[in-house]
Amino acid sequence: MRVVSSPVTRRDLLRWGALGLASFWARRARAFGDSSKITFAQLEVEGKFGSRAHALRRLAFEIMERTSLEVTPLPRQLDLSNPDLFDTPFLYLSCDGGFAPFTERDSATLRRFLAYGGFLLADSVDGGEAFDGAIRRELARAVPEAPLQRIPGEHVLYKAFYLIDHQGGRQIVAPYLEGVVLGGRLTAVYSRNDLGGAWSRDDRGDWEFEVVPGGEQQREGAFRLGVNLAMYATCLDYKDDQVHLPFILKRRR
Amino acid sequence: MNAVGSVSYNAWRVVSLSPLPRWALWLLAAALLAGVGWTTRSVWRERRWRRRGVLLGLRSLSALCLFALLTEPGLLRLQTARVKSRFLVLVDRSRSMAFPAGGSEGSSTTRAAAVAQWAGQNQAALAGLADRFQLEVMGFAGEVGTLELAGLGQAPAPNGPRTDLLGALKTAASTNSNLTRALAGVLLISDGADNVQLSRGVGPQEKAQLEALGAPVNTLAVGQGGLKDLAVAALQVDDFAFVRNPLSLEVTLRYQGIGPQPVPVVLTRAGRVIASQTVNLDGSGVTKARLTFTPDQTGEFVYTVSVPVLPDEAVVDNNQRAFVLKVIRDRVRVLLVCGHPSWDERFLRGLLRQDPNVDLVSFFILRDVHDDTHSSPDELSLIPFPTEEIFRTQLHSFDLVILQNFAYRPFSSGLRIESYFPDIKHYVEGGGALLMIGGPNSFGDGQYDQTELADVLPVTGAGSPGPDDSFKPQLTDEGRRHPVTQLAESGDQSARLWNALPAISGLNLVKAKPGARVLLAHPLLSVGGENAPVLAVADEGRGRSMALMTDSSWRWSFEAAGAGLGDRAYERFYTNAVRWLVRDPDLTPVKLSVAQHTIEPGQAAAFDVRARQADYGPAAGAQVTLTVFNAETEKQVVQLRATAANDGTVRIEVPDLPGGAYRAVAEAMQPSSQQGGQEGGKPIELGRAEQALAVRESGPETEDPLPHPELLARIAEVTGGNHAALMDGFPKLKTVHESEEVEIGRRKEQPLWDNGFSLVLLAVLLGAEWFFRRRWGFS
Repeated sequence: MRVVSSPVTRRDLLRWGALGLASFWARRARAFGDSSKITFAQLEVEGKFGSRAHALRRLAFEIMERTSLEVTPLPRQLDLSNPDLFDTPFLYLSCDGGFAPFTERDSATLRRFLAYGGFLLADSVDGGEAFDGAIRRELARAVPEAPLQRIPGEHVLYKAFYLIDHQGGRQIVAPYLEGVVLGGRLTAVYSRNDLGGAWSRDDRGDWEFEVVPGGEQQREGAFRLGVNLAMYATCLDYKDDQVHLPFILKRRR
Repeated sequence: MNAVGSVSYNAWRVVSLSPLPRWALWLLAAALLAGVGWTTRSVWRERRWRRRGVLLGLRSLSALCLFALLTEPGLLRLQTARVKSRFLVLVDRSRSMAFPAGGSEGSSTTRAAAVAQWAGQNQAALAGLADRFQLEVMGFAGEVGTLELAGLGQAPAPNGPRTDLLGALKTAASTNSNLTRALAGVLLISDGADNVQLSRGVGPQEKAQLEALGAPVNTLAVGQGGLKDLAVAALQVDDFAFVRNPLSLEVTLRYQGIGPQPVPVVLTRAGRVIASQTVNLDGSGVTKARLTFTPDQTGEFVYTVSVPVLPDEAVVDNNQRAFVLKVIRDRVRVLLVCGHPSWDERFLRGLLRQDPNVDLVSFFILRDVHDDTHSSPDELSLIPFPTEEIFRTQLHSFDLVILQNFAYRPFSSGLRIESYFPDIKHYVEGGGALLMIGGPNSFGDGQYDQTELADVLPVTGAGSPGPDDSFKPQLTDEGRRHPVTQLAESGDQSARLWNALPAISGLNLVKAKPGARVLLAHPLLSVGGENAPVLAVADEGRGRSMALMTDSSWRWSFEAAGAGLGDRAYERFYTNAVRWLVRDPDLTPVKLSVAQHTIEPGQAAAFDVRARQADYGPAAGAQVTLTVFNAETEKQVVQLRATAANDGTVRIEVPDLPGGAYRAVAEAMQPSSQQGGQEGGKPIELGRAEQALAVRESGPETEDPLPHPELLARIAEVTGGNHAALMDGFPKLKTVHESEEVEIGRRKEQPLWDNGFSLVLLAVLLGAEWFFRRRWGFS
């Protein structure tokens, strides 16, 4: 009888590769652990939040590949009452439909999180009214003085790394983003286009969801927006500094 | 004259002793005249003129007798004395009189000597003047005092600080002797170089004051032109300037006796030439130069403007002039260079951006050589890293350079950042500031140890990668006192606040260099026998540097806020760090100031020292040492000691500094007896401070050494006196109130005619007239 050894699947290679990479990263970073790296955290809420579990992982990979940002490859998952919340100044909230109101304490925590420098990306999975209502409700409770406003096309967010003219996620429900501005800084961004859906890549290495109507080009746009969001969260209005202006204007033409 | 009793009367006057008022006497006279007139009418008929004459004569005589009877003429006998009026001789004794007289006497005789010679030659004339008047001879130069003309030749050189002709005239004119004597006139002997009210000529106000003297001022001009002199007459510059902003200074030069030639005007500070300009002396006597320079350091400095001393110059003191300039910063200009964006960078940028006192210029490396952006460069907002600009050409425009986890290699397109490290080292040693913040790319981990930049860091790498575990850094003893790690008023409170902050992780292992101060250290880990440093500072040449060996100081902001502590500690720490690095004067424990930055020669310099302890409380009883150096030669001039009062302040006066530029340094020590619970009891050095001071070489006297005879001529003209030159001998003087007769004693009235006698005479005359009238057939 012939013994057929199981073929090394792409999935295995990927796993080993990931492990190898992870260990390599870990060794290099042993002096500093995760301290100097950006860690994304998925925010747990009372609703259907888990459908985009692989989005941040792939986004981290893309950011590492394209920019000098160092990102922890595996995101965390926590809720507003977690004591380690302030370890990760970048929160990602993706939910299918609405979610239950936060407790008073959690709402206060969210307010403190945003006011002291944190960043929240709220990403609607279906683009529907349920999520829309929920996110508006919670932001209005946490930061009543700063309502959600449309982010204008010339905002520094759209030139934080890539120059972005148009955008979309897995779908295009609205061709714009809305944000909360505190002290001149964008502290929360709300997308209706399911960016996470465009980012998500499964363990086999396939894109989990199809992007409509723009296809792969639109997916690339979604990654670019993700990169810009991370860049904005860390560099703030760096690209608005005087010295950059002539270069950016020249390119935009 | 008759002597009545023992008193001698030496003057007399005819007066009327009648009690009748004047108008009555006049009426009487008129009536008598009318009477005489009527008689004339009645005798006109008489053809024999002899008879007519007799009658007329008798009638007139009797009228006269009647008049005399009624007016009672008398003689008023007085005792008078002749009082001599005052005559003043005012001699200029200011510094300008020590200058050469010029003219025929050349430069060998000073103006004062010429006056002495004149006094010797004209002794007879002066004695004659003393006969006519009460002669008062005074010297003036700011103040007025008596002077001996005879001794003028042997007197020391005149040294008065200023010439105030009008003031001297007013003061001398109002001085009283025993009685109030009238002022007959003044002889003013001067070179006319007034530098107070009359320096701009005789204006309407001055004219009125001269006329109010009430006596003619005769003037005698001493000194002529023909001097050779070049002087820095005036400087026009602001009191303070912003560092790294250009500043203009206008210099006015006055000169005479110098032919057309180019002359360099040089601006120096502590012996170093800052700016210079060559101007052409075209013969007009005045020329201006404009110097522009950019101060590169904050503080107070003495600058000196000088022109060269030409051969045979009459006055050398006025060829340079010093001024004190205070240079301040408008905003702290910070360069933040970051290896790649991180939370550590994000919170530091956030803090510096929102500080209104900070002008932040940042450069973050957003893409490494290995990164693939999946796009063309046009779709990116990235710009090339302008290393040449920020590390070389513009480097000196920054007050502070921060390298945050910045890998200096590799870079694409052959950029060799190491080639700029000597420039950065030079920048720091020349007065700049450097802060290196840790991470895998900093210190030894980033291979900085073998570069030139390591020379200006307070630490050196200590090898192997640091620990992964989180820890809370501990304040060292130095850290308790140092302004950078001050989170509260007292060292204990500060330590408590530091302990309350969240733990951090990530540490570059380093060792402190000798001379560096470690402010925060790892509580457990040790490197070379000492606790592994977390924060260290050092003075590097004229600049400062700081090393923070962690990349998670951001947790003192965000995590602390999450724990309910707010982000104040982070803000305060970095604000303290920036201020200390750029030498914010407020932060220094010892402050030295002067009441006046520029003082006249001979004036004492008053220095105020304020010493504070490390916790910003007053350092009562601190021992203060004040050392004054010559700013040009750096030689010590004087050193004084004093003890601070309970409020930590003390004033130290330094008298008799000769003209020049000085740098004063104050050092304060806290004596061991004042320290609470300190081990060893050594005096602690609290700190030091510096201050610049300029002592004028020349006052207003030497700025303009030319004599101004035209001013003297004008004064004489306005007051009605004569003007002449000293070399013309003794002048003709105009005077008023030659001498006055003043009553000094009793007066006596003596009636001229005895009334009884007058009555009899009147009767006889009237009778005679009647007789003759009857005889000659008149009714």
